[in-house]
Amino acid sequence: MTTFFQFVVVGISTGSVFAIVGMSLVLVYRATGIVNFAQGVFAVLAGLLTYSFVQHMPLALAAMLATLATALVATLVAVVAVGFRGRTTHLASLIITVGIAIFAEAVLLAAFGEVPRSYPAISDRAWEVGGVLIQPQYAVLALVALAAAFLLTLFLRRTIVGQALVASADSPRAAELIGLNLRSIAVIAFAVAGALTAVGGVLLAPTVPVSYSSGLTITINGFAAAVFGGLVSIRLALLGGYALGVLQQLVVGYVDSQYSLIIALLVMLVLIGWRSRGELAV
Amino acid sequence: MSAELAAQGRAARRRRVGAARVAALVGATVFACWLPFQLELGDVGLYDRMGLYALVAIGLTLLMGFAGQVSLGQGGFFLIGAYTSGLLTMGLDADTRLVDPQAGIDPLLAVAIAPLVTAGIAVVIGIPLMRLRGHYLAFATLAFALIAWSLLYAQDSFTGGQYGVTVTKRLVVAGHEITGATHAAVVWGLVGLALLLSTNLVSSRVGRALQAIAANEPAAAASGINVALYKLQLFVFAAAMAGLAGGLFTFFAQFLGPEDFGIIVSLLFVVMVSIGGLGSVYGAVVGAVTIVYAEHKLRELGTHETLLGWDLPSTAPSILSLGVFGLLLIVIMLFFPHGLLPGIAGAVSGMRRRLSRRSTP
Amino acid sequence: MTLLALEDVVIRYGQAVAVDGVSLAVGSGERVALIGPNGAGKTSVLNAACGVIRPAAGRVEIDGRVLTGATPAAVVRRGISQVPEGRHVFATLPVEANLLLGAYGRVFRLEIVSSTLRYLRSKRDVREQLERVYELLPKLRELRERPAGRTSGGEQQMVAIGRALMARPRLLAIDELSLGLAPLLVQSLAEFLVRLNEEEGVAILLVDQSAALAFSLCERAYVLETGRIVLDGASRDLEGRSEVRSAYLGGGPEDPA
Repeated sequence: MTTFFQFVVVGISTGSVFAIVGMSLVLVYRATGIVNFAQGVFAVLAGLLTYSFVQHMPLALAAMLATLATALVATLVAVVAVGFRGRTTHLASLIITVGIAIFAEAVLLAAFGEVPRSYPAISDRAWEVGGVLIQPQYAVLALVALAAAFLLTLFLRRTIVGQALVASADSPRAAELIGLNLRSIAVIAFAVAGALTAVGGVLLAPTVPVSYSSGLTITINGFAAAVFGGLVSIRLALLGGYALGVLQQLVVGYVDSQYSLIIALLVMLVLIGWRSRGELAV
Repeated sequence: MSAELAAQGRAARRRRVGAARVAALVGATVFACWLPFQLELGDVGLYDRMGLYALVAIGLTLLMGFAGQVSLGQGGFFLIGAYTSGLLTMGLDADTRLVDPQAGIDPLLAVAIAPLVTAGIAVVIGIPLMRLRGHYLAFATLAFALIAWSLLYAQDSFTGGQYGVTVTKRLVVAGHEITGATHAAVVWGLVGLALLLSTNLVSSRVGRALQAIAANEPAAAASGINVALYKLQLFVFAAAMAGLAGGLFTFFAQFLGPEDFGIIVSLLFVVMVSIGGLGSVYGAVVGAVTIVYAEHKLRELGTHETLLGWDLPSTAPSILSLGVFGLLLIVIMLFFPHGLLPGIAGAVSGMRRRLSRRSTP
Repeated sequence: MTLLALEDVVIRYGQAVAVDGVSLAVGSGERVALIGPNGAGKTSVLNAACGVIRPAAGRVEIDGRVLTGATPAAVVRRGISQVPEGRHVFATLPVEANLLLGAYGRVFRLEIVSSTLRYLRSKRDVREQLERVYELLPKLRELRERPAGRTSGGEQQMVAIGRALMARPRLLAIDELSLGLAPLLVQSLAEFLVRLNEEEGVAILLVDQSAALAFSLCERAYVLETGRIVLDGASRDLEGRSEVRSAYLGGGPEDPA
């Protein structure tokens, strides 16, 4: 029985990353209508940057600098992905982000090499609760995801900037008419989402070393979590992330570790099918 | 009366132009089949790969151009086609494969079965898939390709996993071994055939329905066209093409390994279609040739010791390929969303118009 | 004093010409209408005036200053607000947020520091303007917490108008006021607009399919057909002309009951 709970605990921590990436995707989608295929890249970039920086400074500072740098890169991605007003459709933007993801792999490979990188976790001493080992890193990840959900929801509902983001999604036309610059909105959304994903990546790397090719899997897992929320619900993305993480760990633990990605993919397909069921093929 | 004659004249002209086009296509195909025998050994492989990818790209461009469906998963069908023909040829039982000479079926049959298998799978997954729009479809097709690829590793006892499967049997048709230049000729012959069929398609009733769908989907549906059915047919066709290409690929490489079927392959097909123009089958061929050539050159470049004064790491070939193709996709989607070639053609004709306007007083 | 002037504006979508050399003007405090059949290009003209579309040729002047191709934010800052066709309220946000955004929309630009300063400085004025708008449209005060998407069509129209008013416009451009609304409601909205114009001095540019509404509300009108102004003048005079009567009054489709 403790093995079961052990899997659940690990699942919640890996699921936290999915949730964080999922919520980031939801934020960007709600503000811009774009699905950012390169979202996972932000997590990897932040992790790799932290690895580089930590050679020269304390971990906390390295992590903050890495997050900031990633958020800046995210704003660049925003400008490119949004493209030209009126000429670039949402679908074209998606494909642009696919191109960005591919290009980013090249850059990361050139800058950091093939070897997956990592750095020490927050603490090596695990807590023991009823026979189940809980790494402090796991706990932090889960808490960060929860906090992020709470803060993001607050941000979108209560702050003027957040409301401006929601407004742009509700009606781009009216948003433009009251003076909102849709490109600025996109930059803000990408930057916040990028920073959030970066934090997820920084916390992830100690448990699962990251390398240039990790971005794709992270994006896919995040997208599955986001689809659980119909691409619009922050809270459901959080839940979906946790659920997916736990499901994956259970499969890896009880069935076969080769199937962890396949499981995520099948779950994503099922969720996509479920979320699209009202739509007819026209 | 004269209007009728004029219309008849126009129709006759169209038929003449059509016949001329077909003749040109046949001529070009004959040339393309003759070419591999004139090439150096190293270039034949490149040429062969261009043709194989062109087959996939032709299917995909029709799907993307007329059904408006972005598939990031054609690599999955390519993989399935290749492994179907390869494993059927070598024998499904992994233990007896290399030992029993009787294991497996005739390669020609295996190659013929490959597109049927992929088409069958496409019918099954296509029905739910074609309901999806935009990003959901993109991720769903990507998931399909990834699942196929992951299964290679997960079921490695059957598929040979990361070590792959060596295909020792050769494809033989009527006593002739289809390898090397002959293989390339066959592939390009099929490309010509696919082009011929596609151009015929475009002018037929089906083609007109597809044009209507591409122009305005809701309007097409309202006028009685079964949009869902056409989309499914295009999806199945694209899958069959990819499966056929995959099946033939097995007897080009004589080896099946996961490295040839990674996700990047699916994405490259999208780049090829983007270059040639969505919906343009000739453009798809151009796109395939361009990408295969570019990849080859980049790989070559990457194996140098230094480049422009910098020491190149061993991963340089990958860096260059990924970098260039990613950038290409971004630039094309930003500046030429209907495809690079149509965009350039449009710009050229626009310039020509402006120049001619200036010359008139 | 001319608030808004369009001179020989041409608008193209690709190869198609939607607006072919349109000139019109709205003076401060005026009520002017732009009528015409569906697809005549009325919304395009409005969009050019409000900076949403860049005309292929011609000029847009606000207060005599050439502002062709300016951004919508700049146009709002110069005092022109648009109430779009179909209302387009921000459905998931409460009514009050809709209104506030109408004021703050033009404040935010990418320069974080200056935007924040501008935001903080304008907070008090915005609150005052919010109270003014609630006074003008008391129903909105009742609905302030309700998600805008969960209000009726007429209420949404009020939200859209209120949102536009939050920017303190000198000219209110309204696209299809009567679309999908009951005649009685349209009438009370029209009365409100007249009061707004006479008491607050806000000029009105009304684009509408209903010529009857346009003539009753506005002193002057332009008739737009297939991208060209075919008639213009005082509403009284236009109403009397036979071609206008047959095409737009009595000959045309009835207002939805």
